[in-house]
Amino acid sequence: MPARAQYRLGIDAGGTFTDFVVADRQSGDVRLFKALSTPSDPTKAIENGLQLIANDFGITPSDLVSNCDLCINGTTVGLNALITHRGGKTGLICTAGHEDSIEIRNGHKEDGFRYDPEYPAATMLVPRYLRKGVRERVISDGSIRTPMQEADVRAACELFLKEGVETVAISFVWSVINTAHEKRAAEIVREMMPDVILTVGSELYPQIREYTRTSTAVVNAYLAPVMRKYVQGIDGYFQSLGARQPVRYFQSNGGLAIGQAMTDRSVYAINSGPASAPQAGLYVCAPFKKNNVITVDMGGTSFDITLTKDGQTNLNKNIDFLRYRIGVPMIQVETLGAGGGSIGWIDSLGLIQVGPQSAGSEPGPACYGRGGAEPTTSDANLVLGYLNPDGLLGGKLPLDLDKARKAVKKVADPMGLSIERAAYGMYTIVNSNMVNGIRRVSVERGYDPRDFVLVGAGGATAAHITALAREMGIDTIILPKLASGLCAFGQIISDVKYNYMATAPLRLDNPVAYKRIDTLYRQLEKQGVAHLKTDGFKAGQIDVKRSIDMRYVGQVHECTVDIGSFAINAKSIGKVKEAFHARHEELYTYSERHNAVEAVNIESTLFGRIDKPKAPKLGKGATPAKALKGTRKAIFDASGKTTKTPIYDGGKLGAGAVIAGPAIIEEVTTTIVIEPGWVAKLDASGSYVITRQKR
Amino acid sequence: MSKATRKPKVDPITLSVVRGVLETTQREMTLALEKTARSSVFNLAHDYSTALFNARPEMILQGQDIPIHLGSLIPAMKSVAKFFEGDIHDGDLILHNDPAFGGSHAIDTCMYKPVFYHGKLVYWTVCKGHLTDIGGPVPAGYNPNAKDIYAECLRIPPVKIWDKGKPRNDVLNMIFTNMRARRDQEGDFNALIGACQVGERNLVAMLDKYGQKTVDICIDELLDMADRHMRGLIKTVPDGTYEGVAILEDAGHGFGDFEIKATVTIKKDACHIVIASPPQIPYFINSYEGNSHSGVYLGLMMFAALPPPYNEGLYRCVSVDFGPKGTICNAAEPAPHMNCTTTPMETLTDAVRLAFEKAMPSKVAASWGHANGLNVAGWDSRSNEEYVTMVLATIISGGGATPQQDGWHAVGPECCFGALTSGDVELLEYSYPIIIHKYSLMTDSGGAGKFRGGSGTAWEVEPLDREMLCIGFGEGRRIPAMGAAGAVSKDIDSKVGRVELKRSGKVELKRTNIMETIQPGDTVTNMNPGGGGYGNAYERPIDKVVWDVRNGLVSVKGAREDYGVVISETLEVDDAATQALRSVA
Repeated sequence: MPARAQYRLGIDAGGTFTDFVVADRQSGDVRLFKALSTPSDPTKAIENGLQLIANDFGITPSDLVSNCDLCINGTTVGLNALITHRGGKTGLICTAGHEDSIEIRNGHKEDGFRYDPEYPAATMLVPRYLRKGVRERVISDGSIRTPMQEADVRAACELFLKEGVETVAISFVWSVINTAHEKRAAEIVREMMPDVILTVGSELYPQIREYTRTSTAVVNAYLAPVMRKYVQGIDGYFQSLGARQPVRYFQSNGGLAIGQAMTDRSVYAINSGPASAPQAGLYVCAPFKKNNVITVDMGGTSFDITLTKDGQTNLNKNIDFLRYRIGVPMIQVETLGAGGGSIGWIDSLGLIQVGPQSAGSEPGPACYGRGGAEPTTSDANLVLGYLNPDGLLGGKLPLDLDKARKAVKKVADPMGLSIERAAYGMYTIVNSNMVNGIRRVSVERGYDPRDFVLVGAGGATAAHITALAREMGIDTIILPKLASGLCAFGQIISDVKYNYMATAPLRLDNPVAYKRIDTLYRQLEKQGVAHLKTDGFKAGQIDVKRSIDMRYVGQVHECTVDIGSFAINAKSIGKVKEAFHARHEELYTYSERHNAVEAVNIESTLFGRIDKPKAPKLGKGATPAKALKGTRKAIFDASGKTTKTPIYDGGKLGAGAVIAGPAIIEEVTTTIVIEPGWVAKLDASGSYVITRQKR
Repeated sequence: MSKATRKPKVDPITLSVVRGVLETTQREMTLALEKTARSSVFNLAHDYSTALFNARPEMILQGQDIPIHLGSLIPAMKSVAKFFEGDIHDGDLILHNDPAFGGSHAIDTCMYKPVFYHGKLVYWTVCKGHLTDIGGPVPAGYNPNAKDIYAECLRIPPVKIWDKGKPRNDVLNMIFTNMRARRDQEGDFNALIGACQVGERNLVAMLDKYGQKTVDICIDELLDMADRHMRGLIKTVPDGTYEGVAILEDAGHGFGDFEIKATVTIKKDACHIVIASPPQIPYFINSYEGNSHSGVYLGLMMFAALPPPYNEGLYRCVSVDFGPKGTICNAAEPAPHMNCTTTPMETLTDAVRLAFEKAMPSKVAASWGHANGLNVAGWDSRSNEEYVTMVLATIISGGGATPQQDGWHAVGPECCFGALTSGDVELLEYSYPIIIHKYSLMTDSGGAGKFRGGSGTAWEVEPLDREMLCIGFGEGRRIPAMGAAGAVSKDIDSKVGRVELKRSGKVELKRTNIMETIQPGDTVTNMNPGGGGYGNAYERPIDKVVWDVRNGLVSVKGAREDYGVVISETLEVDDAATQALRSVA
């Protein structure tokens, strides 16, 4: 084993492909590999991918893994389990009389569906008969009003055992102020159900708001068995290959975590993959000094959108995600069912639709020749001449044009269209779906997309990127050569990140309160530093960020304010309060400086800083003329008329190369379609900068 | 058409952006209200609404907030703008709640901020919110003993509380002096003002960016689009006249049950609605015209089921006639009115809904549970202050079943249509000296049908350490939420609202409006109706009935009586007995 590891490995599992990024830590070279995802056993795809890389490098998977300083994994396992409702069989133990809080959902129907008669109620992760109330009660001052009836906890366990419940959440009213009952109930559950996975509300999410805490605990419990199985599989496999360090997993808070954290706090795993897009987007835009970035990621199944304004990405807290209330912080990601595998069909009005159904990786698009017969976006793109009929991934994934044409004919015939025109119709429709999604995160939140740079990520995006920018009125596109694995790349440039929370409902007008808050921060950070140290981080590699939720006395909702890591005392408290007044004014146009301020919750985010691999730098390569592979007939408008289009080998192009559309640039893992009216310039940082031609 | 209309060309991206800015502005106003308010009615229950108007003033964006607020904002805004015509200045802020001057009920108090751009009035940002108290003899405004409006509340005609940017502290002081819980009220006024300012900030930024001319063109197009949308839908209804009659039950006033009738006439793409209701009574269930508009529009939307955005263009093709003044749905001064946003409004909404059901029998969903709720008041010894609030959690009823699916549980009442929130139990207990022993769905409360109505809720409370006054209001305690497409329930008692008082170990069940005091150790449980079912209950698949029984939403008895499904306590279905029951038509 070499003393210093040469590589860092990032693996991002998507619905269709699993992406592998291998960064050479010294040279800055980054290589990208892809293997088809294996949803029934995600570890299989990882084994296949590692073998692929090993073959390419002429080494064994074990040589590769043991020569990595870190192996990092982003996974959609949790997300998929929540979407398909295939989590563990879950039981809830709660305060008697409050069994229904997760079904009452605050009595609210989501905005946008006010009068919609078909919008369904949310599917319950724990059916009502497995939500068992316990006679116990703590009240708002933390005192015990009704001692806990242990027999009720035991009765619940007996029912759960009979029903085959494998994971249990405990969440009591006001447990966040007094944890005694939850702790004792947890002991009883552990005693009676030694094999069960247990989530305790006040440990997972120690913040006021019973519904949010219970719901977060339930989602966590529901996902825990799935995540545990997954993490055990991956950890074991990498250990067997001689990994130097435990695998780090990417979390929806935008940072990394070790496997145990992913099992104990599965709710942090939900939106693992796409949450790295903002970091990656900012990284590739940095050479151009752009920090208003919309990153779009089109894979085989889904299309993810994130927005970064002035370098900041929204972190959601206490939001409904896939209709479940989740308290813990998550990067805001908009997801829709539009990908290379999205299926075209004809609806009851006789209009062509594309998606949200996807052919996934099994059987995949018709052109993959693996039994798929439905027309997908990829099939349309092949018919349009965008994709190379000789195959993708440098010919490793051959494409069958006849099968694609036959599939597209299924929507062409009933519409009385030629196959070419139907293919362009599918292309237009899937683009329009994606544009509407981008509008939701930009326009609908009051951001004009024309003020943003569009970054393309994911394997399928590049074939659509100029069309999307055209529709959105965006003038600049940054498309990294690594687009297809950009999320995996985002993960290997990330730090380990853990959130620690405590509740502290205290008026900020006395030294006892300052002291308590100061002590709580210290406790949280002591705990956090201990976690990071067992994880191999030294003191100098650990960063702390603090925030505190405050409000005016009498308000019930709080406002999160970032503060520095200073001691909280009579001298510094003025600074804390002033930050709150200022934030209140910024958000709501006014402050009440004469009124008393109270703290509600505090949070410390701890980062374990990881060295970044060296930035890639592209050397001089061939001129466009030398990189020209040939021409293909491609279609760029609704008439279905073909245009002779030059095809370039992206692998040969050097920094500074300029290519005007119409043109197609073939990278190994993605195909970039440059529509007429756009010009691409390859930058030394490894990205194509595609701009609208001025007329 | 002879006139050559030269419609200015709208750039579709800018149109979308303007639509998005309007919707975002409204959402941010709503958020500012929720996050900064003091009273739980605002910050936990979302009993407020925000809207944007242009200078004409037409409502250019109606939020997704409480339906029963928004219809009435249209006449209210017009009345207020007319009152101050020629005297509206930058920096003015107008307060208003008078139901006899376009308001809804007086406790829903409105703040109107004229927005100026380059010295010209361009928009109004408007908030309406249910305050904790509005003066008068009974805390929280609901006085069942009031014989006229003067015995209910402080009436506020349009009055400037800011004059050219300068707060009129004398006026504000007079208003606060006449209300309970002054500290909360001051905080809530700040929240309302802040929300109006958030709206102003966003709208001005939009004008700076796109210019007023472009924005105006876009807004006019959005109004026209809504008009086209509604007309297109009305056109699908066969021309004709359709009647809906709904019964307004006696909530304890002693005047007996009343009928409210809606007559809907469809002619091509236009719709005329005539409302007939009995003479007004000296009890707080009369509705002035502004409020009644909301009830009609809600009945229309239950039929139309249109997706957003919503603006005044939707109602251009709709005309409404409430008949002569002096009736329950078109009250004349000084009729008492405080309960009007729920009673009689939900019955009026039902009448309109029923008329549309006759026009298009399969399209229209069942009625939702009506509001039957509690206000509480007392002394908070933790802060040594008086407290008073409507508890919106208590009115969360069951949603109606639709032609496609079961009704939602706990999403009503009908007049709020899912826009309210019940509030977190911990936040409620933090705000008030109460212990909430129960907040749960109720067995057998959803109306029977092929698609079941959603369950209503039960809310049980005990005062922490002092006595507490409980004021019950509403109806739906005898007549369950109406089903649709032939859905009928047999077990009525479990489906209607009621209040259970447990005092010194004695239990009393109340089915009328109450005003009662309870002590620590006593409890009051408010039970809310479920939603109506859709279609024949005997056609509900047996496995769905069994699943409901397993989850305690339907009892074994309910399964037999309402659904004709015979199940044992261990959930085994007696097929023969079930078939025998179900074969009886």
